[in-house]
Amino acid sequence: MPGLGARIRRSWDVLVVLARSDMQVRYGRGTFRILKWLLDPLAALGIYLVLISLVLGRGGTAVGLSIACAVVPFQLIATTMQNALQSVSLRSSIIVNMSFPRMLIPASSLATETVAFTATLAVIPVMMVIYGVAPTAAVLWLIPALLATAAFALALAYPAALIGVWYPELQPFAGSFVRTMFFIAPGLVALEDITGTTRDLLPLNPLTGIFESFRDALLYGHAPAAWQILAPLGAAALLLALILPVFRREESQLAKLVG
Amino acid sequence: MDNVGVRFEFDRLGRVITPVLSHIRRVKAEAWGLRHLDLHVEPGEALGVVGRTGSGKTTMLRVMAGVMLPDEGTADVDGTIGSLLATGAGVGMLLTGRENTELLGVLAGLTLEETRERIDEVAERSKLGDAFDRPVHTYSEGMRARLGFAVIQLTEPSILLLDEVFEALDHEFRAKVEDYGRGIRDRGGIVVAAGHDHTALERIAPRGLLLEGGHVKAEGPFAEVISTYLPERPDDVERLGAGIEDG
Repeated sequence: MPGLGARIRRSWDVLVVLARSDMQVRYGRGTFRILKWLLDPLAALGIYLVLISLVLGRGGTAVGLSIACAVVPFQLIATTMQNALQSVSLRSSIIVNMSFPRMLIPASSLATETVAFTATLAVIPVMMVIYGVAPTAAVLWLIPALLATAAFALALAYPAALIGVWYPELQPFAGSFVRTMFFIAPGLVALEDITGTTRDLLPLNPLTGIFESFRDALLYGHAPAAWQILAPLGAAALLLALILPVFRREESQLAKLVG
Repeated sequence: MDNVGVRFEFDRLGRVITPVLSHIRRVKAEAWGLRHLDLHVEPGEALGVVGRTGSGKTTMLRVMAGVMLPDEGTADVDGTIGSLLATGAGVGMLLTGRENTELLGVLAGLTLEETRERIDEVAERSKLGDAFDRPVHTYSEGMRARLGFAVIQLTEPSILLLDEVFEALDHEFRAKVEDYGRGIRDRGGIVVAAGHDHTALERIAPRGLLLEGGHVKAEGPFAEVISTYLPERPDDVERLGAGIEDG
């Protein structure tokens, strides 16, 4: 039995090659893929901006930056989930041929999409410049906000990977589910601009904490409330506690499912 | 392998049901890919596995490779495994030969650093030339098998598992695979090869195993096993027997 250090190193190497190969398959090679990573969130941002400013006629503080604070972290969550839905079936040829830790497959979906996400993050300083919002020391809160985003994306990746092989026909529905989560969170309109019962209920959605913590760190220039970081982290921990034992049981069955 | 059984359960639509899924979907049918399989392969042995399509050959090799766990019984495999459980198994079609080498080398047990240092060895051994840097979907079946086999060699396995590999290879590369298998056997390793190219299997494996419906139907010297499997084709059996004597 190899020692803990050797096992960690092996897991890291497996994670790296799974993510690298995934990126080559999904996004191709070369610098053009960075353009795609930038254009996807910019396109979503543009559509939402038109919807909010022109169609609905709603304003607010630096509305483009406010929407970017939701669209950008959501991009990591949505793409990780989409990736994870296909993560097992796309790797069927190695799953039926080789023994390796399958627990790393959903984690590699997050790793792949995190690389793409680093390019996506460039949208935020662009919007800050456009709206003349100067960064403050609160920008450091972006680190825990990013960690909470990644943890929540990882927690969704495990059930998504299982749903992708258990019910492949439900993959489009799973995508719609995540988009619905975006719209029942303060994605297009900041929480401070929402009133009544809706405002009280929205924090139940873990995305609310994520979006608002990005806004606090980047737009409002103050520290996020503790619940904004802890809610998505708690949801992620709960989901992982429930799904990891299930995935552990299923990993030895994956060859039957995709073979 | 002691009393090994691998069970496949299906729902009413014929979809595979796993133990977890059986809590959600009703099991309507079951089939045993392997049942009551007792098999011991000693160091220095090579086993040629034959049988009709669906007889359990691939399932048995997958259990040996650790890809599938038995639902019954126990499977103990002691050694470093190199598996090619289909021509080009594991090879990603959209990746180049080089990218596949990095992926498969690490999954097979090498570190990332070791794999990167030895990628040129794979390029050389696979004899893919410029195609090594092209996507694998442009390869022929034989080229994919060469790539997969060249990667296996990186890990210097003590147990070599081959499933229907010979069928896709040209004569030159087939001879290399056979030589490599014999080398592993001579060094005290184990080779288990399954397929329908009985001549190639016989050259690599003196011992044979016939599977039928997931059960062992015959086991023993390869020519005898083939005579049980194909009694209506005595010419094949005589040729195989002559091959063993010649070899």
